[in-house]
Amino acid sequence: MNKTYNAFDTAREQFDKIAELLDLEQASKDLLREPLREFHFSIPVRMDDNKVKIFKGFRVQHNDALGPAKGGIRFHPQETIDTVRALAMWMTWKCSVVDIPLGGAKGGIICDPHNLSQREQEQLCRGWVRQMARNVGPLIDIPAPDVMTTGQHMLWMLDEYEVIYGGKYPGAITGKPVGIGGSLGRIEATGYGLIFTVREALREMEIRVEDTKASVQGFGNVAQHAIELYNKLGGKVILVSCWDQDSGKSRAYRKTDGIILKELQKITDNFGGINKEKAIELGYEVLPGEAWIEQDVEILIPAALENSITAENASSISDNVKLIAEGANGPTTIEADRIIKEKGIFLIPDFLANAGGVTCSYFEQVQSNTNYFWSKEEVLSKLDAKMTDAFISVSDLAKKQKIYTRDAAYILAVDRVARACSSRGWT
Amino acid sequence: MKKLEPMEILLRDLKERSKELNCLYQVEEILHKEGMPLGKMFNDIADTLPSGFQFPKIAQSRIKYRNIEYKSADYTETTCELKSNILYQDKITGEIVVSYKQESPQTACVPFLKEEVKLITTIADRISYVIQYRNLKDVFSEWQTMKKDLKKEVISEWHIILNMLNRTDRNLYVYISQKMLHYLCWNGIEDAKNLLEKYNTQNKLYKSAQTTYTNSPTDKSNTDTIVQISNDIFRIAARHLTDHHILTNIQNWIEEDKSRFLVRALDNQNSSLDDIINAITRYKHITSDGTILSASAEKGLRVSLIRYFFSDQLDFIKIAKNHITVKHYYDLIEKIIYPSGSHGRLGGKSSGLFLAMQIIKEVKDNPLLKQIQTPNTWYISSDGMVSFVHYNNLEGVMEQKYKELDEINIEYPNIVQIFKNSFFPPEIERGLAMVIDNFGENPIIVRSSSLLEDSHRAAFSGKYKSLFLANTGDKEERLDSLKDAISEVYASLFSQDPIEYRREKGLLDFNEEMGIMIQEVVGRKVGKYFFPSFAGVAFSKNDFRWSSRITREDGLIRIVPGLGTRAVDRLADDYPILIAPGKPSLRVNITSEEILKYSPKYIDVINLETNTFETIEFLILLHEAGQDIPLIKQIISVYSDGFMQLPGSLVNIDFNSKNLVVNFEGLFSRTDFIKQIKETIDLLQLKIGEPVDIEFAHDGKNLYLLQCRPQSYTSENFPSPIPRNIKPEKMIFTADKYVTNGQVPDITHVVYIDPDNYNSLNKLSDLKNVGRAVGKLNKILPKKQFILMGPGRWGSRGDIKLGVDVSYSDIKNTALLIEIARKKGNYTPDLSFGTHFFQDLIEASIKYLPLYPDSDNIIFNNLFFNHSGNSLSDLLPEYSYLESTVHVIDIPKSWDDQVLKILMNSELNRAIGYLSDTD
Repeated sequence: MNKTYNAFDTAREQFDKIAELLDLEQASKDLLREPLREFHFSIPVRMDDNKVKIFKGFRVQHNDALGPAKGGIRFHPQETIDTVRALAMWMTWKCSVVDIPLGGAKGGIICDPHNLSQREQEQLCRGWVRQMARNVGPLIDIPAPDVMTTGQHMLWMLDEYEVIYGGKYPGAITGKPVGIGGSLGRIEATGYGLIFTVREALREMEIRVEDTKASVQGFGNVAQHAIELYNKLGGKVILVSCWDQDSGKSRAYRKTDGIILKELQKITDNFGGINKEKAIELGYEVLPGEAWIEQDVEILIPAALENSITAENASSISDNVKLIAEGANGPTTIEADRIIKEKGIFLIPDFLANAGGVTCSYFEQVQSNTNYFWSKEEVLSKLDAKMTDAFISVSDLAKKQKIYTRDAAYILAVDRVARACSSRGWT
Repeated sequence: MKKLEPMEILLRDLKERSKELNCLYQVEEILHKEGMPLGKMFNDIADTLPSGFQFPKIAQSRIKYRNIEYKSADYTETTCELKSNILYQDKITGEIVVSYKQESPQTACVPFLKEEVKLITTIADRISYVIQYRNLKDVFSEWQTMKKDLKKEVISEWHIILNMLNRTDRNLYVYISQKMLHYLCWNGIEDAKNLLEKYNTQNKLYKSAQTTYTNSPTDKSNTDTIVQISNDIFRIAARHLTDHHILTNIQNWIEEDKSRFLVRALDNQNSSLDDIINAITRYKHITSDGTILSASAEKGLRVSLIRYFFSDQLDFIKIAKNHITVKHYYDLIEKIIYPSGSHGRLGGKSSGLFLAMQIIKEVKDNPLLKQIQTPNTWYISSDGMVSFVHYNNLEGVMEQKYKELDEINIEYPNIVQIFKNSFFPPEIERGLAMVIDNFGENPIIVRSSSLLEDSHRAAFSGKYKSLFLANTGDKEERLDSLKDAISEVYASLFSQDPIEYRREKGLLDFNEEMGIMIQEVVGRKVGKYFFPSFAGVAFSKNDFRWSSRITREDGLIRIVPGLGTRAVDRLADDYPILIAPGKPSLRVNITSEEILKYSPKYIDVINLETNTFETIEFLILLHEAGQDIPLIKQIISVYSDGFMQLPGSLVNIDFNSKNLVVNFEGLFSRTDFIKQIKETIDLLQLKIGEPVDIEFAHDGKNLYLLQCRPQSYTSENFPSPIPRNIKPEKMIFTADKYVTNGQVPDITHVVYIDPDNYNSLNKLSDLKNVGRAVGKLNKILPKKQFILMGPGRWGSRGDIKLGVDVSYSDIKNTALLIEIARKKGNYTPDLSFGTHFFQDLIEASIKYLPLYPDSDNIIFNNLFFNHSGNSLSDLLPEYSYLESTVHVIDIPKSWDDQVLKILMNSELNRAIGYLSDTD
């Protein structure tokens, strides 16, 4: 019988490969391929009909050698512990690659919020904190919003935590709204972070940003902010693609002398869907969504979906393309990766390119812990420094070891964690 | 003959006038002599009358009273007479006649002046009054004497009343006696029964009464008989009933008698709407002193009125008679427009709303229900349309319904044009002018209210037109637009859609008539637009459950900002907000993405500048005039920091922001709105005896009820009967949990994703490709003739193992989406109820069914699913490697030309899928 797809197995396979390359000690391998701690617990909730229902809660702290663990809390009806384990491990690497002093964790509750009232969800959040209060906190493990949880859920959790500890601990949770312990710059963080790495990559390749053109897949929050900064730096985006709700297809909008971000934003819905008719009125050329990859540009930015660069379409990438910056999670399939490598295109891997988000969460935590909140400019300049450093480290390693950037990023991330464990005498 | 000069004419006229006035003066003198016997009075008047006429010398007069004649001197019979009747209690008791002894000198044909006609009528009236006055005076003095006597000896009060009635109102006297006799008989009093038989009383009473007030003198023996019988009756009554009892009865019957004219008008088949309305107006004045009818009499009256104005459907009458009282018509009749001789009703929509509102008004102690109002409404009776057709000689149009559909379709636009260029009968036109005056410049809606909408359980909703009018401009323009709209609504009776529907339901021969409701549009002026803050529809039963925790009884509200048109109709490009009033905390959309996606983006409004009904983008409206929209804080949320937040104060809202989202969160969580709707539909369901659906609108101040009808009238999803005699080998599956209503007939293809094999796929790309294959099948399989069946939660984001990764466009052509929950050990996973595209499913009428194959007593035909031929490789060769997971079953091909039928019945909570021959 076929073995079913298991996210944790995949994550461990990836790790094993890197561990081999790094020639890690067996103890390090054993420690890092499993979570450091797991919490499984029950959360009783008195429902609106006055009956009590028991929900299952989890928290997996994969590793906290670099600092307090950090990771989202998911509400999911068919959550499995293996999915949570895999996600916790990825968090460890993600924090490590940008060199922020945080470990990796993930948690959740098996539930479907569609079947829960707001009050019941609040009780779930508070129940989760009551069970975990001793094992989370600003110095231990910092939860954040994730699938089907929002800033609202985080505020309930924080409130419960503060009730239990009888004080104010805004650094116990991130993802809070601005004004209640949230950080400015979060909306821009991922898109800007992506372009900071693009800028550094171009600098290494000795290409002036002003001399480049880019084609962007997606027009959501990440893409729009990336385009904003890229334009500011002098680059020109000639095409964006987006999903068209009505037709159930993706479409691309092209203006060879450069799209105008502001005018497109005016005709875009909250999901990054561009109004086709209005775009035509504005003089945009409408192409099938797949066209984004075939453009004669220097930079490709996939910032929409997983698996959008495949073995089939990777061959249609123009020879002019010098750089691919992965704004989305997992946009490139393994087969496509090979083609990109062969073509000698510089690739900024997803967990480095889109690490602006987690970096900003770290900044939120720092600001919360000191109870001093920075201006947006300060947040973004610190983000710039962090992303630039991270990029340089990855790039240097890639050059030094003559390895693909994706592998370099991975190696760097795992190595940092392994060394921290070793220094602490754990392995 | 010499022609008179103008001056001579004037002098002659003045002379005549003074003669008449003199005569009238003299007659008044005679009438004022109180002690004068009647006979003398009549003689004197007969002598005086000729002096008032143009030719006094040859004039003569004669007065006849109760068959005795009083004549002027030398009276001779002639043919040229002027006559006027003397009345007593509305009955003719005599007459005054003036004539000329010979033909008049001027002309033989018109001997009397019109002033003379007036004179004799006036005198006859004066005589009638004097006679009545004298009679009553006698009765009062007797009453005074009796009252004195009462103190001396025991005479019952009822006795005196009876006596007075005998003197003053013989008809009523007979009526009361007769009522008492029947009352005694009904109560089993033997003496009364004997009396009834002995005298054959009823006949005698009637006969006597009928002959009493004719032009013959009082028949002594008749009067004696009546008094005799009456005495006998009341003697028996006195023996068996207390004085108080008798008195109360007499009082009640006297009151009852007051309303008999209304009962008679309603009983009379020939009474027109005009007669009935006049009778109600008269009744209103008579009973303004607070008269209360007996319960049975009142009920009888109610039923007759309901039948006349609203409906003769027994179901409706049975309920309405408990809630619509005679008084409720007082205001209603002021607002009905009808053609002369009308026998029309107000139609279905009007009836439903009127009844619902009376039910709500009855509840006195509920502050939420007390706030509910109905908009100012005028009605045109259903035969207004027939009168319109006849007035314009358009009778031919009535045969339209028997023509071929193609022909109807081609001719309909012409009919609309003809109707719009036709005229309204004057009485309707006058009524419409009043409507315009009454509404001022408030926008109005013209709604159909047809007889079929009421009389058959046919979903006639939306088949006929309803039109909005901005109602601006001068009066003439506004009246013209109103007439134009009514003609268009009338014409919609002859369009293809309703005729086709009637043909299908066998209602073609029904004499369909179209009543009209003209309603003030609920709303406020905001900028150049007019619209309600929000509006929508609410149902007692929820046919679309999005959570297993929601039951059918929790109901459903579809609500939108602005005019309710977007909530009533299914939308192709937008979504109303849905909420279950019984479980308001369980929202359909939970994540910010869902809330954003499924929030209304457009709003229907009336543009007061262009006089048109428009659909505009809500965000643009917010930019233009957001702060002026009443209740805007309750309507929108702000999407900020990744989640929806209620706006604080108005000053905090940036109306230019793109992050304002309609979700009515404030309305749902911070006001009593949900409670108000819930209590309304619960009350209406309780009183009407079945689930209802209502339409409502809110102008920022009050909630208005716009429509109410049984839900079964409108539900497109009837509970399907579940046959019991299906052969086991034909059964494909059964379900007994969370079943909704509906039928999915003639399915030719099943796309079945095998849950076990799907779960065994170990490559992410394979799992994803199952979704792609489904998307492609959705494009090539016959639309709405295939169903999708698969494990867990279709379209679930996050973990792909939970269900097939599809978006709505990948499944939009399916007729039914089935989610299968197979047991895992002791655990059966929750299904999604299609939540990921729940609202898309609703708007596209795609049905949803959850299957639990491993539950007890459930059939799941593994043979069918696993061993029918699989057409996947033929249809999509590129996905043939997924054959063990994706089964495409071509049913007619694999199963001898059979099709799959799926019947779902929410009330039984049961559904079946079985193979059947095609119909």
